[in-house]
Amino acid sequence: MKDEGIKFESEMNRGFLQVLVLVLLEKSMYGYMMLRHLEKLGYMVEENTLYPLLRRLEKRGLIESEWDVGQDRPKKYYVISKEGKTVQEELLKIWKEQNEILNKLMEANKNV
Amino acid sequence: MYKKLEDYLKEIGHYLVVKEGRDEILSEIKSHILEKTAQEFGKVSEETLEKIIANYGNPKKVAGQYLEGEEIISPFFKKYLFLYTGILFVFHLGFTLLSFIFGWSIVIFPFFYIPRMENLWALCYLPMALVYDFGLVCLFFYLVTQAKIEIRLPWPKIKWRLPKAPEKKWIQPKIIFLVLMLAGFSIIVYAYLKYHTLFFMSLDFRNQAESLLNPEASRWYSLFLITIIACEIIVYGLRFFTQSEWIPLLKNAFYLVLVWIIMNNPIEDALIRLQSPDLEFVLYVVERAGIFIVVVFGIVAAIDFFQSLWRISRKHWRSR
Repeated sequence: MKDEGIKFESEMNRGFLQVLVLVLLEKSMYGYMMLRHLEKLGYMVEENTLYPLLRRLEKRGLIESEWDVGQDRPKKYYVISKEGKTVQEELLKIWKEQNEILNKLMEANKNV
Repeated sequence: MYKKLEDYLKEIGHYLVVKEGRDEILSEIKSHILEKTAQEFGKVSEETLEKIIANYGNPKKVAGQYLEGEEIISPFFKKYLFLYTGILFVFHLGFTLLSFIFGWSIVIFPFFYIPRMENLWALCYLPMALVYDFGLVCLFFYLVTQAKIEIRLPWPKIKWRLPKAPEKKWIQPKIIFLVLMLAGFSIIVYAYLKYHTLFFMSLDFRNQAESLLNPEASRWYSLFLITIIACEIIVYGLRFFTQSEWIPLLKNAFYLVLVWIIMNNPIEDALIRLQSPDLEFVLYVVERAGIFIVVVFGIVAAIDFFQSLWRISRKHWRSR
């Protein structure tokens, strides 16, 4: 049962993480920084999940990247693109609507 | 440079089959590992790197995460792969049989070249043909996937299904069938004793029936046939007393030995009656068809043999 729970959680996270990244990248950030930020918020993401996701979003033009080689170690910074911003707004709208539906259902269940 | 990190990245790179950006992905992973090591341990060394690398994950799995949408063959074609291979192989098999029976070389450029083959070579050619057909279908789907073409492929509806390896259902033997089999067998033995052959040119028994084969081949192949029929009757009779899986196993082992003897002792000019210039082609076809029948008989015996062996070993392991 626990394994099933983990499976569902990872399925839910798949979509949620995309929204989260698009919101997070309103400000320019590099991978490790994003992970630490999310960790502080109590959301754990594996690095080998985050980086491939960033690559996919970049390929679809939703985020943009730039290497910063001025520091002691080169870092790849990401930021949301104009197209990404549009998608982010749509996704947040959908997410809010879904949340409302879920809340209504839960309220209705309470009265059963 | 840090050897452990380089080795780790090299291994990821080995599995990372992407069209572009491979070096950039590796650079980013490298940057992340170095940053994380420095942040968590305060210094970067082989020992501290080893711990961070261990947490990052198996190189194959890490590379796999980047391969989404980079499939060699699209999963949509999975169900077509074996069906199309099967259909292609049926054609290939048919052409091989034609080539074998009629002694032709068949070329369908650029897909098939079936050379004129002798006896067992044709049999050895078939597994190779199956692998070739599978490769050809894979190549087609690979090209379609890579070209990102949207096509709707035909899906022929085939009514029959391949039977699953079944539990053997024993049919209770019946006396009447045994009696009929014995009667038939007596007629066959009588015919052999009287005419010294079971392979007749014609069934005109009012006159002396002529054998299709020369005397040596007549005796040899008739006894082969009689032995098989006798075996079948004995096995059928034994089923009144036991349904042991050992009986078909031994029977098929015996058949395989018989086939081996027959294939290894070809009789020169066996079809002597057909050896006239007019019948050269018929002679060739009959000879080939004869070999083909023996080979098919051998294959069926081999399949049956291994099925029995499989059932016996399964029963043996279950009982342990």
